[in-house]
Amino acid sequence: MSALGIRCLAAAVCVAFGFAALEAAAGPAEVAQIKPRQDKLRDMGGALKAINDEIKKGRIDWDNTVIPNAQTIKDRSGYLLNWFPKGSGPESGKKTYALPAIWQKNDEFQKLGKAVQAEADKLNQIALKKDESGLKAQAVATGKACKACHDDYRSPDYEKENEDE
Amino acid sequence: MTSSDAGRVEAVLADSTDLRVWDLPVRILHWLLAIGIGVCWWTGLNNELEYHLWSGYAILWIVLMRLYWGLVGSSTARFVNFVRGPKAILDYASTLHRRDTPHAHGHNALGAISIILMLGLVLAVVVLGLFAVDVDGLYSGPLSLYVTFKQGRHIAHLHYYWFTVLLWVIALHLAAVTFYFLYKRQNLIGPMIHGKRKVDAVEAIDADMKIAPLWRFVIGAVIVTAIVYAVSVAFYF
Repeated sequence: MSALGIRCLAAAVCVAFGFAALEAAAGPAEVAQIKPRQDKLRDMGGALKAINDEIKKGRIDWDNTVIPNAQTIKDRSGYLLNWFPKGSGPESGKKTYALPAIWQKNDEFQKLGKAVQAEADKLNQIALKKDESGLKAQAVATGKACKACHDDYRSPDYEKENEDE
Repeated sequence: MTSSDAGRVEAVLADSTDLRVWDLPVRILHWLLAIGIGVCWWTGLNNELEYHLWSGYAILWIVLMRLYWGLVGSSTARFVNFVRGPKAILDYASTLHRRDTPHAHGHNALGAISIILMLGLVLAVVVLGLFAVDVDGLYSGPLSLYVTFKQGRHIAHLHYYWFTVLLWVIALHLAAVTFYFLYKRQNLIGPMIHGKRKVDAVEAIDADMKIAPLWRFVIGAVIVTAIVYAVSVAFYF
């Protein structure tokens, strides 16, 4: 084999490894979103549950429960749409309830995400005003905004094992 | 057919009589439970949790009423009259392949196991549902305020798991009814609808149902309704 041939081969190998390295580097960043995304969404669900628990009890603790939890939902919802980079779906090979539809119908998904932000914002304002009847209605509205996305872009619960959820 | 043959047929017919086997509460509770489980199944699969909660309360009411009726109801409804020990169950199971065995009045020894299993599973699934939390933290079970979000989510998964087990036992129950109908030529569905079973006069002597008065059912209904209400508001009045 000529010297030129060897050089060409070496270059090709380098390029191939380079691409492989790039791919590997691109992968983990997106995959790394999955776990913290689940944790943050779980916090939001837990926060809404905490508010609903207060409503059920009929003795609403605004300062210690409703206000901080409404704040959590509002803060998190602001970042919600950043948690779903392309590549962080089921194709990552990780256990995730995220459905491919998130990236296939991304416009629709973005719209639902923004709707959650709007409802969370209202919830936060009502919490700060300590408006009890408003809170009841807005807790349902906020939950329904969460549900709208979960119904179409998340696997149903019964389709997956529950390991660390 | 000769005239003497016809006479014999008439005599046999005259000797057969309708015997009450299931009282009204047992029949109503049975079919309400069947419908209720169907509604819960559909609303659960389609994430219609608002209605799933209501149908869940209905099932809690039905199963508690059936347990109560198993203590104070008519004779064929009572647990003491149909829950048997292992020997009776094995004896019955060993004659399962035969067609000439007498028709059990009420639950047979083997069927009793599936009744207890189904009632137990329905109760278990409903109780898990009371503590289950949905992914949105929106339509959670009424008692979920006594558990954390994470615990409630775990309970929700147990709720699905045990429901699947329940579905298999229901499938077995339907298979058994079909087996009795096709192989043993015993129609178990009719009596569960109209409450009566045709028997020959000889059998009728020792096996009529002792009917419990309806006021007993009404008292139970009031108590059970109060319990279900208390559960639905998580004991916060």
